[in-house]
Amino acid sequence: MNRIHQHPILKFERGREVKFTFDGREMTGYEGETIAAALTANGVRDFRESIKLQHPRGFFCAIGRCANCSMVVDGVPNTKVCVIPLKGNMKIERQHGRGAVRERS
Amino acid sequence: MKEVEFLVIGGGPAGMCAAIEAAGRGAKVLIVDDKHKLGGQLVKQTHSFFGSREHYAGVRGIDIADTLIEALDENGVEVLTGATATAIYDDGTVTVATDDEWIKIRPQRIVAATGAFENALPFPNGDLPGVYGAGAVQTLMNVDGVKPGKRVLMVGAGNIGLIVAYQLRQAGIDVAAIVEATGRVGGYYVHASKVRRMGIPILLNHTVKHVWGEKEVEGAVVVKLDEKFQTIPGTAREFAVDTICLAVGLTPLSELLWNAGCEMRYVAELGGYVAVHDENLRTSREDIFVAGDASGIEEASSAMIEGRIVGLNAARSLSRIKIEEADYEERMAYLREQLRQLRRGPFGEMARTGKAILAGDTPGEEPPIEVPPVEFEPLFDKGCRVVIECEQNIPCNPCEDICPRGAITVGGDIVNYPKIDPEKCNACGLCLTCCPGLALFMIDVDYSDTQVEISLPYELLPLPEKGMEVDAMDREGGVVCRAKVSRVMSSPKFDRTSIVSLVVDREYGERVRHFRIDAEPDGATAAKSPQAEYDDGDTVICVCEDITRRQIEEVIDAGAESFDEIKRQLRTGMGPCQGKTCQRLIIRMLADKLGRPVESFAPQTARGPMKPLNLDLLSRVEREEKR
Repeated sequence: MNRIHQHPILKFERGREVKFTFDGREMTGYEGETIAAALTANGVRDFRESIKLQHPRGFFCAIGRCANCSMVVDGVPNTKVCVIPLKGNMKIERQHGRGAVRERS
Repeated sequence: MKEVEFLVIGGGPAGMCAAIEAAGRGAKVLIVDDKHKLGGQLVKQTHSFFGSREHYAGVRGIDIADTLIEALDENGVEVLTGATATAIYDDGTVTVATDDEWIKIRPQRIVAATGAFENALPFPNGDLPGVYGAGAVQTLMNVDGVKPGKRVLMVGAGNIGLIVAYQLRQAGIDVAAIVEATGRVGGYYVHASKVRRMGIPILLNHTVKHVWGEKEVEGAVVVKLDEKFQTIPGTAREFAVDTICLAVGLTPLSELLWNAGCEMRYVAELGGYVAVHDENLRTSREDIFVAGDASGIEEASSAMIEGRIVGLNAARSLSRIKIEEADYEERMAYLREQLRQLRRGPFGEMARTGKAILAGDTPGEEPPIEVPPVEFEPLFDKGCRVVIECEQNIPCNPCEDICPRGAITVGGDIVNYPKIDPEKCNACGLCLTCCPGLALFMIDVDYSDTQVEISLPYELLPLPEKGMEVDAMDREGGVVCRAKVSRVMSSPKFDRTSIVSLVVDREYGERVRHFRIDAEPDGATAAKSPQAEYDDGDTVICVCEDITRRQIEEVIDAGAESFDEIKRQLRTGMGPCQGKTCQRLIIRMLADKLGRPVESFAPQTARGPMKPLNLDLLSRVEREEKR
């Protein structure tokens, strides 16, 4: 886990510990932190496959602008995980290409 | 339709101050921010601010954010977080999208305090995971408490690059080096000194040639540049790093202002296109103001004052609000003076020049400034007192402000160099911990016949223990000698900076300015780039649509002369980031290839929504409105 446990200046107020899955692998994170942070803490940096060149991509700006971190979250593609807070039992998947339109439920 | 008197777009330092000032004058204010917490970049600033007391000098950014958030509450400002302003329409309507709501707002006055976007730097494989913007790295480690990587190469030696390199070390992350393409450190030397004495090299005239890695960054090749920024052959060096942190400048986020039809002008000194504004930060549209980085890239201290100016003027321009003329004039004179002070000296020159260009003026004559001494003070003969190693004319005076005995003098002009009166200093140490540059030290030359005691500010963990033997280091991070820790002082008055005292032989007294408890395990492992060269033509410029440098160059060679022409042929800028990453790079390519100035190329037309929206959200509104 790539967590910072001790910091000379900061105290991290972390939410409840929750479980989520990334491409089927179970992981733990803290409720309320960004999905990108939870994934990075679990050693995951490759968030999606780019649309034409199939390059691996991770986040870049972490302010929800560059869209480099677009992933499929609970079936919804193009979710900018750098700004979306983690919730328990989220199903997070690496996005391939542009993502598919969901059937209306 | 939601009616408000003053809508503040962006909850960073500028926006919050605008909201507080206007609400304090009685205006009905709504502040919207796309994050889930207000504060903008302040929420990750672990370092203390420069400036004077009025600018929260000596206070850490994170704490300033909390103070301002409280003030919003006290002044009755309505706050909407997780809410992105997606467009400003001609009739004055502003649309705001939250996760599940689409809100139309009709404000009487608006301020765009939208901040800035980090510049990208294109190089082969630069789109690999592990290449992060400096702001992203700060968010990850200082907000979420997650390490962005194990070993980082920092690109850019401006204030952001230097500060984030220091913060990485505070978070226990190794920094291999800082590379800077120009021949000088652009940020404050005191920030550079902080990282240098920790042993982080700053490589001037160096840049990243390429990075490599299978699925993520595994290493980087750095090369030396000549004065024309061309690679010097035979200078390639490999670094085993898993993270590249880009701190190569910011561009004002101004698409909402373009969209609103404000007159825009390209001013390189301000970071790009900004809305033309008067000294009250009012744009060419009477109802719209701009503040903070969106009005030109500057320090957060200036952004807060700009916010105040906007808040006051926005409130005053509302017909319902009455502000006494004398009261207004007095407040404005005060705020203008604060801004003037912050823009004094060599570091304020960009802002002074940029703002003058914007106003169609030439920058006014500045009163002369006494330049600080080039040499540091030699070791003195007797006693125990503070030595000041502040190297530049930074607008800053907390050391003068905090000294209970008046031993430090900066003077009315806060850009002056602080001077110490050895007779008055009683070595209390308060100034050591309040200096945002950690540039003050305390030396007791009478410690013993052969030894001196050096006390220094220390913001790393773990703290050493009294009696411990440590490696004493010099200003460049080289080990000078072994030293014994004689005292470790922490106090609430020191605000999380500790003072550690080291005893060394007298001959080292002039050199020792840092220490390490153990020789850190050298994170440098043998690194070998699988290829000596990568084709820069394959560098991805538009990351959304996967468009390479070669493709763009081919289109320019075939006759394209504008961003829009390239866009029509290649879809550059049509992806979900809407050109925020690539537009600046492509316009630079056009300028270089066609030999014309950057400002002669128009950016693409900004149209709402400014971020991709879920169609379901829009269709829901449609249904609700019909009902």
